[in-house]
Amino acid sequence: MSAKMTAKKMTAKISAKTLRYLIVVGLIALWELLPRTALIPELFLPSLSSTLMAGWTEAPEYGHALAVTLYEVLISMAFACGGGILLGAIVGSLPRPRVLIMPMVSSLYAVPLVILYPVFTVWLGIGSESKIAFASIYGFLPTMLATAAGIQTIDPQLLLAARSMGATLSQRLVRVIIPAAIPTVLSGLRVGGALVIVGVVVSEMLISSAGIGYLISRYRTILDSPHVFAGVLLVLFMAIAFNAAIRWIERKAAIWQTGTRAGQANDDIASGAMQPAS
Amino acid sequence: MQPLANVTPLKPPARAGAIEVKNVGQVFKTRSQDVVALEDVSLDIKPGRFVVLVGPSGCGKSTLLMMMAGLRQQTSGTITISGAPIPQPDPDRVGVVFQEASLFPWLTAEDNVEFPLALRGVPKAERRAKAQDALTLVGLDGFGKRHPHELSGGMKQRVSIARGLVQDPPVLLMDEPFAALDEQTRMTMGDELLRIWAATGKTVVFVTHSLTEAVYLADEVIVMSARPGRIVDHLQVQLPRPRTYEMLSGDAFGSLRDRIWRHIRKSA
Repeated sequence: MSAKMTAKKMTAKISAKTLRYLIVVGLIALWELLPRTALIPELFLPSLSSTLMAGWTEAPEYGHALAVTLYEVLISMAFACGGGILLGAIVGSLPRPRVLIMPMVSSLYAVPLVILYPVFTVWLGIGSESKIAFASIYGFLPTMLATAAGIQTIDPQLLLAARSMGATLSQRLVRVIIPAAIPTVLSGLRVGGALVIVGVVVSEMLISSAGIGYLISRYRTILDSPHVFAGVLLVLFMAIAFNAAIRWIERKAAIWQTGTRAGQANDDIASGAMQPAS
Repeated sequence: MQPLANVTPLKPPARAGAIEVKNVGQVFKTRSQDVVALEDVSLDIKPGRFVVLVGPSGCGKSTLLMMMAGLRQQTSGTITISGAPIPQPDPDRVGVVFQEASLFPWLTAEDNVEFPLALRGVPKAERRAKAQDALTLVGLDGFGKRHPHELSGGMKQRVSIARGLVQDPPVLLMDEPFAALDEQTRMTMGDELLRIWAATGKTVVFVTHSLTEAVYLADEVIVMSARPGRIVDHLQVQLPRPRTYEMLSGDAFGSLRDRIWRHIRKSA
């Protein structure tokens, strides 16, 4: 009976996957066909081929912009994730800072932080520093909130059991608290990392002199749609690569979560959250 | 840790697995008042006995068990396990089995069983061999590579028992280990536990809410009252072993269960 059920599940899974591929292929085909048949003007949506061509002819410019953006994203991610995990762990494990800080952080999370970006450019200039500062803070909040929640919600029975087996404080930290918190922390990294990409690209589009966001913004002002979409495509690939990296880590680190609905839900939410980034 | 244990020369050396509880009290201090959880509890458990603690909710039976495990310290009185006090958990002397939630979900069954050995730096090969033996003992040979979410409730509890036994402690403490299981699994696991107990000769102290389970498993049933927790009765269960399902409907079984129930109804 169980074999039958798994077989059924498998076919459902495969067809969902195939369907997803078909939708992507269909969208790509539409992207090429709609502008070519002039159903949509090339100004609004340049065809896929002309977008790729635009990107190819200006490859060095895009390459340089990508390098700048990637550099900013990587540094911001290190700050956002490192700081978020560290502070989240402290806040999550100690009750007093939790009572003090959590309400503040939660309300701060609701503020559209992008309004602060012009201030950052005043303080740090229009180079990479202001983007890194802005994106770091932008991605830091959800990472910290998730880590704090992950540590807070560890089953106290697990810690009691470890103690009954003679685990010292550091053994409990390394062997129980960290592995137990990993799934929640990873889901925080997913959202935090996606927001870092959003933060970097948006700040480049606002006030900047380099990066993909800057290129998109500049080509938009001269109505050069193929070049705008070439930049959009690069950001899209960056988001997809990030998502794949997180999935890979999740598979490596949190095997025990597979089969639970939590993992699947995180996937869906995160890929939803990635959409504005593209 | 307590020097007194070393300077009582006249006391005969206690056999491994003996548990002595003397005038133990536990007071929880809250902001408004002190709550007496246990009052003047004394118990003498001989090695190899199967002792069940029952009582209404809040009678402190789990608290008493936690103190025997070294996970909590009593406010007054002394507790000795195999002749020595237990100021902190000591898995060489005492194994503890909790409710099913206490397996580490990110570890396989065998890694869970190896966990207490890994904490003390036992080499991998030795760990694996001991875990295999423990899993075989609880009837889970061949399930070592599975994660807890791939096991049924009863199997998870077998893993917990294997984990409690892997260091071969003379005492096994069990805190409502079958409470989350369905009735049929619970009966099966009771029989399994009795088989394992008979095979290993451990002293078992078992906390439960189920009176039937208490009488079915125990050599001795200790009945406690609530607030403050005190021992109100100490029954010897003389039913022959192995225990069988038919005994459940016998007169001897029924009168023991009734006697426990009268105590609990009075204090609840």
